[in-house]
Amino acid sequence: MTNAYQLDNIKVFYQQKCSLDLPHLTIANHQCIALLGDNGAGKSTLLNLLAFLNKPNQGQIQLAGQTIKSELSPQQRRSIGYVNQQPFLLSGSVASNIDLALKLQGIPASERPQRTANALARVNLSHLAKQTATTLSGGELKRAAIARAIAHDPDILLLDEPFSHLDQNHIHQLETIIEQLAAQKDKTIIFSTHDRLQGAALADTTLNLIKGQITKSPLLNVFHGQLDQHLFDTGNITIHTTSQHQASHIAIDPHEIIISNEVLSSSMRNHFTGRLTAIAEEAGTIHLTIDCGERFYAIISPDALADLNLTIGKSIYLSFKSTAVSVF
Amino acid sequence: MSYFADSLSAATDLILSFDQALYEVVFNSISISLIAALIAGIVAIPAGIVMALNQFHGKQLIQHTLNTLMAMPTVLIGLLLYGLLSRLGPFGHLELLYTPTAIIMAEAILIFPIMMNLAIAAVTAADPRLVPTLRSLGAKSTTLTIQVAKQTRFIMLAAVITGFGRAIGEVGAAMMVGGNIEGYTRTMTTAIALETSKGEFEVGLALGLLLLLIAFLVNFILSCLQREKV
Repeated sequence: MTNAYQLDNIKVFYQQKCSLDLPHLTIANHQCIALLGDNGAGKSTLLNLLAFLNKPNQGQIQLAGQTIKSELSPQQRRSIGYVNQQPFLLSGSVASNIDLALKLQGIPASERPQRTANALARVNLSHLAKQTATTLSGGELKRAAIARAIAHDPDILLLDEPFSHLDQNHIHQLETIIEQLAAQKDKTIIFSTHDRLQGAALADTTLNLIKGQITKSPLLNVFHGQLDQHLFDTGNITIHTTSQHQASHIAIDPHEIIISNEVLSSSMRNHFTGRLTAIAEEAGTIHLTIDCGERFYAIISPDALADLNLTIGKSIYLSFKSTAVSVF
Repeated sequence: MSYFADSLSAATDLILSFDQALYEVVFNSISISLIAALIAGIVAIPAGIVMALNQFHGKQLIQHTLNTLMAMPTVLIGLLLYGLLSRLGPFGHLELLYTPTAIIMAEAILIFPIMMNLAIAAVTAADPRLVPTLRSLGAKSTTLTIQVAKQTRFIMLAAVITGFGRAIGEVGAAMMVGGNIEGYTRTMTTAIALETSKGEFEVGLALGLLLLLIAFLVNFILSCLQREKV
């Protein structure tokens, strides 16, 4: 089975600064993928590349096994649906926007009304078909843009920050739409979000972007600083690593952090004392926030929480191996 | 003061009596300028959109040339066109000199850079999401140009109207290549110049007032379009 995308040696420069650096990335067909990362991590840049709206300064992109060197063919363009972070609907009604998109994709006029109606029904906007697009609310606008993007039934759906600037009700509606689309398993859906938990909940796979680079580590316990002789100095604490390469970021998987009430005697190289500042339950696991000069997140089981008798403000120990530290 | 007031009164009478000769000049002027604006618009607007949408070598040079042409004296356009269309010129055999076609050509050349620059400005000032959205929906080259023109139609129409307003007020080139022939190539501006030199101040004033009225209507339509723009 061919991949939806394969990216090799991709570099994108913005104002002489490398904003995206992907040596190799494959995205399998019919997966729902969440792109996670902070502002400026390169999520929109990557989605624009995947939508072939921008070209990389270096490297090549394969779409469904075919290397794209210049413009997409009409058939390739039809295989992609893209929704901008701030969708722009053209003047006219919601239905006319979808009709125009179908027309531009070469869908015959006889099929367009039915496809428009179907697309609007999928996003629960049938009642607003004739409404002027510019009068829609933020949530309605995003749903209308999704309807426009899926009306021609693309194989790939790219959504740039679909949940940003929306209230909880609209976020829930959009999550349901994405879940329904993903459940059909006939599309590759890639969406970007700041919300790690939301991304993990909706997607089959998550891709974590930091400063334009994909990292395997979840975007927790990410620290900035300087690496010198295996030691990474954040400015507040020093963390042992196994890396000798130049790097300015590290990340520690919260599952790899051991919590204890007393200092452990072990082979682990990193031991810190900190104050427990938050305890939260998420998806059946316990998330702890510990202030050790830097803020650490650790994930433990509910049983461990009971055994350790943890309370807010308690002084506890955290330990992790130097091999648990991802350097990038 | 009495001379001016009397002339103004006579000019008003001429306008209100729907003097045939007077309105013939007005009609001639409007039709010539309208055709010139439409011809220039048909070429300048797509050219402006294409230029705004694409990056290519020489774009800056074209932009500088357009800006220079916008400042070119109309009498120079008349002079160059006269040289090209006169019997001894390369296009003399077409016998276009002293015809309405020659004036249309001169006015179209005059307003082309203005309209193209306005079209470029319209695309540049449009919502930055417009072009990426259209591209993501599958619009390419021709369809992209058409859709951008549709989405910025009010501004593009304003560009045509601005061009019309500039053309109808033009006198230098119209005089040189039109010859100010009564009932044929006489326009409002050339008639004003002629009638005033003949001492027929009230006729010139009547045409001037009508020209002012047209300018007012053009600006009124423009301000309406400004409110409707994307």
